[in-house]
This record gives sequence, structure tokens and C-alpha cells, in this order.
Amino acid sequence: MARKLNSAPNVDNGARDVGRRSFLKLMAAGAAASALAACAPAGGAVDQGAAPAAPTAVPTPEAVATGAGMMRPGGNPKRGGILRTAFGVTMSHFDAHQGGGTHVLSHMYNNLVRNNLVDGLRTIIPDLAESWDVGEGGLSYTFHLREGVTYHDGEAFSAADVVATFNRILDPPEGIVSPLKANFTFVDSVEAVDDMTVRFNLNSPRPFFLNLLTPTNALIYSEKSLEENNYDMREVVAPGTGAFRFVEHLPAEKWVLERNPDYWDPELPYIDGIELLHVPAWSDRGTAVLTDQADMSWNVAKETWDEGMNRPDSVQVNKLANFGAYWVFINNREAPFDDPRVRKAIHLAVSKQNLAAAFGTQELINVTRWVPQGDPYATTPEALSTMPGYRADKDEDIATAHQLMADAGYGDGISGVELLAAAGPQGELLAPAFQDMLKRQLNIETDIRIVERALLGSEQSTGNYQLMVHTRGHAVSDISPRGNLWWHADGSQNFGAYSNAEFDALLAEIDVELDVDTRQGQIGEAQNLLDENPPEYLVGYTFHLPMWNNRVNGLALDQRAFAEWGRMETVWIDPDA
Amino acid sequence: MSKYLLNRLLIAIPTVIGVTILIFLAMRVIPGDPLQLIVSESDGIYVLSEDELQALRASLGLDKPLYIQYLNWIGQVISGDMGSSFWNKEPISGMILRRGPISAQIAIMAVLLSWLIGVPIGMLSAMWRNSMMDHLSRVGITVFIAVPSYWLGLLIILFTVLVFTWRPPITIIQLWEDPLGNLSMTVLPALALGLGLSAATARMARSAALEVLYEDYIRTARAKGLRESLVVWRHVFKNAMLPVVTTTGLALGGLLGGAVSVETAFAVPGLGKLLVQGMTERDWMMIQNLVLLYGLIYVFINLIVDLSYAFLDPRIRYES
Repeated sequence: MARKLNSAPNVDNGARDVGRRSFLKLMAAGAAASALAACAPAGGAVDQGAAPAAPTAVPTPEAVATGAGMMRPGGNPKRGGILRTAFGVTMSHFDAHQGGGTHVLSHMYNNLVRNNLVDGLRTIIPDLAESWDVGEGGLSYTFHLREGVTYHDGEAFSAADVVATFNRILDPPEGIVSPLKANFTFVDSVEAVDDMTVRFNLNSPRPFFLNLLTPTNALIYSEKSLEENNYDMREVVAPGTGAFRFVEHLPAEKWVLERNPDYWDPELPYIDGIELLHVPAWSDRGTAVLTDQADMSWNVAKETWDEGMNRPDSVQVNKLANFGAYWVFINNREAPFDDPRVRKAIHLAVSKQNLAAAFGTQELINVTRWVPQGDPYATTPEALSTMPGYRADKDEDIATAHQLMADAGYGDGISGVELLAAAGPQGELLAPAFQDMLKRQLNIETDIRIVERALLGSEQSTGNYQLMVHTRGHAVSDISPRGNLWWHADGSQNFGAYSNAEFDALLAEIDVELDVDTRQGQIGEAQNLLDENPPEYLVGYTFHLPMWNNRVNGLALDQRAFAEWGRMETVWIDPDA
Repeated sequence: MSKYLLNRLLIAIPTVIGVTILIFLAMRVIPGDPLQLIVSESDGIYVLSEDELQALRASLGLDKPLYIQYLNWIGQVISGDMGSSFWNKEPISGMILRRGPISAQIAIMAVLLSWLIGVPIGMLSAMWRNSMMDHLSRVGITVFIAVPSYWLGLLIILFTVLVFTWRPPITIIQLWEDPLGNLSMTVLPALALGLGLSAATARMARSAALEVLYEDYIRTARAKGLRESLVVWRHVFKNAMLPVVTTTGLALGGLLGGAVSVETAFAVPGLGKLLVQGMTERDWMMIQNLVLLYGLIYVFINLIVDLSYAFLDPRIRYES
């Protein structure tokens, strides 16, 4: 029986069929799928030595609220002040849809819907869409747009902007790269119903559809800006509708934004502006916050984060799940790695805990399954701690791995394998640790080949590797968009040529499944399939380590379900703190 | 003198051309496709299809033959335009003008510091050769030559953060805007650089002074009853400075272009850090122009050093 959900987004009186209700319930679950729902520990900083943050369970999402006041921070917000942030703010170009840095750009724009800043990103709430209806069987989403919104150049916002924005994403003109396109393959069309109503027509339902609209790069450009720039926004900071307006960009130094006095939410923002200081090195970000040269950073070096833990009178810290991970990609095309038994043996025998420890001086890695922590369908740390391949005690797993290797005809081990890794910490720490465990546990001998990081992408896409240490992430935590990109036989980023018909069939069901409990079971089964027949070796998803001055309020940084380097219009600064 | 100057300038031309060719080719033969970076910034790795790569190459002018790309760049430079950032089209000259003064200031302060510390120590060591003071200064010289300025910078940062909860500003503060703020940003990097340079200067000053001290004209000066201070100041110091000027001049040439490692350690937004940024982003235009600037600075400083010899040593004349 389907789980009872608390409520659903803007349901039109529940007058439709049962299938519709069921769908809406799941959509609400999807709305929380980018967050940890009610399961993440709220409150202060997570102890570094504690079990991984954000234990998960079946989601019990809160209603997706509509109406005014959903983005009001607690306390007694004070107005004024400039927020100074410290992290890398350079970018190759300014086109958010083509990969421009939305950790900067997003402050100047809005999405249709968004994660709620004041509840720790646990719900999806209206943004430029004031409300929405879901059509029969989840095959359409009709967004009712907010009236009276203007761009920073005075242009009025309308449905035509949404249509132009998503048409460029779905069907990019020649010369335009659209990384987001793969997320929306099930969207048939986007149409303006009237000036302030826009409809997305889907060829099949997706319970996580709203999640795909929340990432910071799914922002809305004006049709006018798109046309003026020939649909290529790389060289312009186009006017947005966001809470902050562009003032100045000093390359590789800082961005200066000012409060938008005409913002559609008259209460926000509270601060007068943001200075996004360019501080690329993690340790410099930490020392900048510790020494009060910056008010906050999304991710600081571990040693400065530790120091911040010791200074509660001036700063606070947290440890947040992140949707990017370290992997050892396996080229499934060639022997011996075309044999699932060999891949599973590696999955079982190589200790994720040891790899995380080896890399601990660089970045904190969370022992995670295929669905990352921070997603409602993630396997709980407690369950993981006893699962083969994930548990710390490896004796039984190694014995099983030896048997698998023998069954595959590699009982004496394998030699002459190349392990590709990027220069720097990945090549200096992760690769040798992985190499050592392969040798000791499975007698697989590898030669490490170090290359410049930018080379990994082309080596990966051309299949010029056997094993490759690398990173990969996705803005959305749900397994459907990830699985279809990475592990489906036809996935556009399935560079290892993984093929698992059973998984593909199950993924197709997960894509459209409307019942929460059924989907929960399916995702569990899909992860079992990946454990049995792994496409690659997952080291683990990373934690981000934000640190902020005690003066910084209104972002619920201590309660966030996951890391999002995004908008901050609810922030307020308490000069007396 | 003018003929010598002209000759040196003519010799500099092929040197600079060589630099431009080397850096231009180096950026294009190193493996890896920088275009991948264009869409991998915010959402992990996204691998471009071949069609997408071609479209991007064309939009950035990278589909043209190499010699056309090279000539386009050189044409820009000759016309006084250093071009724009490969990616975001920001004018490179603007960034250099904004950051150059910071790097130059740190370099000049480091050289001044090296002279203030290194020259007296070197001279005194030579004057009192094999004394306790000489032994101690030689130990200090060895230590500071061995210690990398980058590591010293990290230690300084660690100390100031942990003890004083303070670190140098991470944003640009120009000297003419806020002198105190500017000095708080530049003094420590200059110290980290200057200490190592001081050691090298002291060693050079000591050995040069020792050599001069045994010259006949020093013996003559002393024999005719000249005060020791005058002997040292007029004869030893001036003649011993020739190799010191050479070494510090070359060091200044390197530092004016930005001390990459120290600027990175202190997060000082100078030219060195800009170069690191360009390398991280594979911003070919940025790297090409900065390396060209370094080449020009080096050639210019070398010329100045050579010309300074004539002032320091009257025996050296450039006219035939």
C-alpha cells in the first residue's frame, strides 16, 4: 500500500482519479528527493568522528508550500550589510546552461521552482512559478507564473521567457552545448498557455520532474536576452530576475552584487549586497573565514574546518552530503574487466574505508552506495555497515572475491593492468591506495599512469583506459537521471560500455513508478543489481565542509540536508553577534 | 653606449620571438583538451561530443591553422593589445595593470629587504672572516637559502592565523588607495621572499667582499693611512657590489613577473596567481601573454643590469 504523504503541491481539489492522487503523492516525494526529508539530523555541527551525517529512510516529505512567507528565516532578521564569501568564483563564461559557474550567477536569477533555503533545502517551493498543476497521469505540468516580476533591465517576465529558456535547453541551436538536455529527454514540448502560464508536456511521467528544475543551473533567461545574444550567453552577464543585481566583476578577484530593490519578494533580500571573493584554495577559504576576511565559505580545508570547530565563539561549521563522488571507472569492453565476476571481486575486496582514510587529508569521503546520502532513497549508514562490499570487516568479502576471481579464471591474479589517474592528490593518494589493495587482496598488478586532469575526460570518452580514478557528479540525487546517463546501456555518459539488461529494464520502471513504496523497493533492487554486477568501483560521495561567521543567519546552514552552492537571498547579518 | 644599447635591443628581438613561439607551441602540444573545462565547472564531468567540440573550437577560433592563430596573436601584441582572456573575453592588459603593481611592489620590497639584510651581513662576515659572527651568519645564510620561500610563507600564515587570528588581505588593495591596508597585504610575502633572497645576497656580498679585500688597491689604501671605514665604503663596498647587482637584478626580473609560489601561499592576487589561474583554466591567451610579459621583463632587467656595470665599475665602458 502506498505510503500516506502529508500533502501535495497545489493539488486542484483532488477531484481527479486515484492514479492522479497517487502520482501527486509521489511527486511530493520527488520534491523532497533533492533533500533529506525529515531524516537528516538538524541542529549544530556534526562531529567529525561521528557516523556519516544524513541517515536516510523512506521519505516522509512535508507539503510543498505555496503562498507568501515560505522563505522567511527565523529570528529577527536585520537589514543591511554586505556578505563576503570565499570560494573560487572564476568561470570560463557566463552561460549557466552551458556550464557557467552558477555558484555565482544564480544570485542574479530565479528558477521556476527551488529548494527552500530556510528549511535546509528539504522542500521544493515556488520561485518564478507561483503554483503548478499536474496533468493526468503526470504527463503535463502547468506552471502559473508570478505576476509583476521584472528583469534587472526592466523587461517584464512572462511565459515566453520560460519557453525560450527550455527550448534552448531541449533543442540547442548549433554551437550551443546543452549539458542539461540529457535530464529532460522525456519532455516533448514546452508551450505558453497564455502570457503567465506555461506547460511542460511529458511523453511519460517522472516523479522527480520538479527536482530537475531546482538545480542552480536551471535558471530562467529572458527571451529578449537570448535573442539579443543569438542564444549564446557565454560572453554576457544577462539581466535576471534575481534578488541581486550585477555591479562589477574583477576577473579572478571578486564579483560584486547589489540588492535588487525591485525584487518580486518585497521582504527580500535583507542584505545590501554580496562580495564573492575569489579564493580557490580550500585552506585560504578557511583562514579567510577564521580571520574574518570573509563571512562564509561553502567548503573549506579539513584542517581549517577542525580549527573552526574549536572556535564556536566566532564561527560555525557543518558537514554536508554532496552529490559528487570519487570513482574508479572500469572499462567493461575488454578482458578481464568484461567479466562481472572480476568487477564484483574488486567491489568486495577493496576497502572503501581505507580509501577514504588515505584521502582524508584532502577531502572527506563518505562510504556510500550508488544512491548518494542526501537522497531519500539512499541506503542508511546502519544498513551499509553490514553489507558486503561496504562493511569495514573485509574477511568474508575477500574470501568471496577470491572465489569469484577463481571462477572467472583469474585465481592466480592479473598483471599488466593500467590504472589511470590525474596528477595531484588523486594520483598521489587514491590511486596508490587502490593499487595496493588490488595487489594485496586480489593479486591484480597495476601500473599507474598519471595524466593531466583535463585529459581524463577525453581518455574516458574514447575508452582509452582500463581503470581510471576520477570524479563524477550530478546536480540531482535521484537514481533515474543518474542511472540513465551513466549505467544504462544507451546512456550518453556510459563510457565504460556497461550493459545490464535487467538493470535497464528495472530503471525504466523506476523512471515512471508513481508509488513511493514500490519505487523504494525498485531502487533497492537496482542497487542490488549494481552490487552484483558493478559497472565501476564507487569510492564514495564526498562531504562538503562549510564554515561561516556567527553573524551569518537565515540560510539554515546548520540544518542543510545536502550541499548546494546556490542562492542566498534569505541571509541576514547580525552585527552584534 | 648608444651603440651597445642598440645592439642589445636588436639581440632582444629574436629572444622575445623565440619566447613567443615556444609558449605558443607549448600550450598546444600539452595533452588534454581545455574545451572540456568549459562545461565541467559546475556539474561534475560532462564530456563533449565530437560535434560539440568542433562547434566550440570554431567559436573560439581554434579551428584555424596554427600559424594563423600565432600570427593573429602576435599581430594583437604588436598593435599594443594583449588580447582578451581565452574564455571570458576580459582584456588581459586590464588584469595585468591591476595586478602588476602588487607583484612589482612585493618584488621591489623583497629586493630592498634582501639588500638591507644581506649586504650588511655579507660585508661584516667578510670583514671579520672566521669570527663567531661570520660562522653564525654563514649558518643563517645556508638555512635561508635551503628553506623554500613557499614553505616559509605557509609557516608565516599558519602562525599569524593561529596566534593572532589574522592573515594578509585576500583582495587587492593598491598602495595609493590605502597604504596601510596595502602594506598589510604585501609585507609578509615580501618578507618570505626577501629572507631567501637576503641569504643569497649575503653570500654573494661576502664572497665578493673577500675577493676585493685582498686586492692591491685595498692594501694601498690602507698603507696610505685611509680610515678603515673609508676603505670599506669607498673601495670594498663599491667594487664588491658588482656581482650582487647582477644576482639581485636577475632575481628582481623573476619577481617582477610575480612570485608564483609565494603569491599562491599568501593568496595575494598578483600576476603570479593570475598565471596559476590561467593554467588551471587552460586560458591559453592569458598564459601566452603573461609568459611574454615575463620574457620582456627579463630582457629589460638584464639590459639594465648590464648598463649599471658602467656606473659601478669605471673600468667598464661600452664604447669601443
